[in-house]
Amino acid sequence: MLILKNISKKFGDFHLTDIDLEISEGTYYVLLGRSGSGKTQLLELIAGLNKPDTGEIWLDGENITKKKIQGRSIGLVFQDYAIFPNMTVSGNIAYSLSSGKTSRTIIKEKVSKVAAELNITHLLGRDTHHLSGGELQRVALARTLITSPRLLLLDEPMASVDASLKDDIKRLLRGLNRKGLTIIHVTHDYAEAVSLATKVGVIHNGRIIQEGSPDDVFRKPVNKFVARYSGIRNFFRVEYKKESEKWVAVCNDKIIFNVSENLYPKEGLLLLRSDDIKITPAMPSFNPGNCFKGIVREILPVGYGMEITIDAGERFYVDVSADTFKQFPLCELAEVWISFSPEAAIALQGAN
Amino acid sequence: MYRYTPFNLILLVLSSLVLLFLVAPLLGMFLQTGVGEFFDTANDKEVQASIWLTIWVSFSATFLFAIAAVPFSWLLARKSFPMKSIVKGIIDLPVVLPHTAAGIALLGFISRDGILGKTAAVAGISLINNPSGIALAMAFVSLPFLINSARDGFAAVPERLEKAALSLGASRARVFFTISLPLAWRSIVTGFVMMFARGMSEFGAVVIIAYHPMIAPVLIYDRFSSFGLSYARPAAVLFIIVALVVFTLLRILSEIRKTPFAKNDYADS
Repeated sequence: MLILKNISKKFGDFHLTDIDLEISEGTYYVLLGRSGSGKTQLLELIAGLNKPDTGEIWLDGENITKKKIQGRSIGLVFQDYAIFPNMTVSGNIAYSLSSGKTSRTIIKEKVSKVAAELNITHLLGRDTHHLSGGELQRVALARTLITSPRLLLLDEPMASVDASLKDDIKRLLRGLNRKGLTIIHVTHDYAEAVSLATKVGVIHNGRIIQEGSPDDVFRKPVNKFVARYSGIRNFFRVEYKKESEKWVAVCNDKIIFNVSENLYPKEGLLLLRSDDIKITPAMPSFNPGNCFKGIVREILPVGYGMEITIDAGERFYVDVSADTFKQFPLCELAEVWISFSPEAAIALQGAN
Repeated sequence: MYRYTPFNLILLVLSSLVLLFLVAPLLGMFLQTGVGEFFDTANDKEVQASIWLTIWVSFSATFLFAIAAVPFSWLLARKSFPMKSIVKGIIDLPVVLPHTAAGIALLGFISRDGILGKTAAVAGISLINNPSGIALAMAFVSLPFLINSARDGFAAVPERLEKAALSLGASRARVFFTISLPLAWRSIVTGFVMMFARGMSEFGAVVIIAYHPMIAPVLIYDRFSSFGLSYARPAAVLFIIVALVVFTLLRILSEIRKTPFAKNDYADS
């Protein structure tokens, strides 16, 4: 188990502040944050490349805060892989074993084994200069895994990999995690977090602002920043009122949302996931609780289908799958109806 | 294809003038040296000894000082420390000093009254008029070329490669010898060749420390001042040719030996 207690570190003008983390064995922890949020710095502190100004780092019951990097048994794979250009693939993989303490036969055996696991046996004798992003990624992983680390740290592992190879890498990482390897994976990509994490942390300006299971974090974001990260684009500043024994949220005195009963504060942000909103060409026969008429302002193709912007007094962003869009083609300025249940509305407290 | 615009023509004329200025004196010297007197000089034992002395003393000075200067360059490239800019200024000092002044300064240090001179005297070595003194004079004026070039080379090695090696359990020394040094190798060799070349051509500092035994630049000066231009010219031509051959060989060697610690190959292939 990895425990970070009250870790702070100053890097020039940037601070990592009061980082507390508990990551149990076998967890796939994804640390989500924008570039410059402190993700890489935190990984380097855990790996031992830098020492914290305050706080402690514990791994498997041992305080490793002041332990040398060489003795930590923590593997780190860098964002651009940091493959040694002056060595072949096999030289890179064998680097940790080639200090003279391990016999050549054992090194060769171990290199062959890890290369076979990562499907790069055919690359072993090759120079590293002409390898693809995916191949470099596997070499970097093999080079780290050969050390049998207690903890694997991955810094943006998909950043330099073609989209077509990302699924392969994800499968590989999931497989490693299933075998019991604890992984901390930092990324700016929400989709990576959703598809890999058993636990997610969101870091912003050097602080971890939310932690929990992916479902907790993305369904109940603590603020607008986390909500945006989880792909939410519908934000409405509202005032909550109780009308006829029901809770409603009033946005700019124009739209009244029915919301599920809860202890809302007087005002705050109301969030709606784009895929929780249904769009129909006519008024739906069944009103799930909220139903508004609007005009299509923009249709943008996105990976999974279309993103439709609808003006219903306020702007709503609605996701439509490619199949649905084929069945009900829409055009700009068309009149449509949008509907969603009161439970789809997520309330954010305060002004953030 | 090159376009003859007025601007390009002006550039061409100015560039040609600079090149002519560099080439003409050397070419003139070569043309004015007769084949017979050139071979007579080449067979002159005194000339041969002085050229050989120049080469091996400069090479030894470069090699020995590189042992300390290369790690020092890594330190300058990687670490921040108090008064680093002053240290960098001190390294560049020999480049701006008049070399005779450098010789005088060094003389005070290595003469029998100086700290190094006294220490050497205890071991029965006199640094004045001795190849070791010449080596010190050559190194004093030429070290900046090696240190600055090696420092730039180390700075160009991505730091994350060193960090990756550390995270794989390598010691700092192993990281230096297997990652930093091989990847900065070209710049180090360039600096080595530059320091060696600068040491070979040094006159001002060496002549203060050791008129004898004569290195080639001192011998050329000695022949010029004692017997005149025509007597000094063949020795100068011979020295230039030898120097060019040595530099070319070193350059070729450095191209062949790109990565000295490169191939850690455990592949079956």
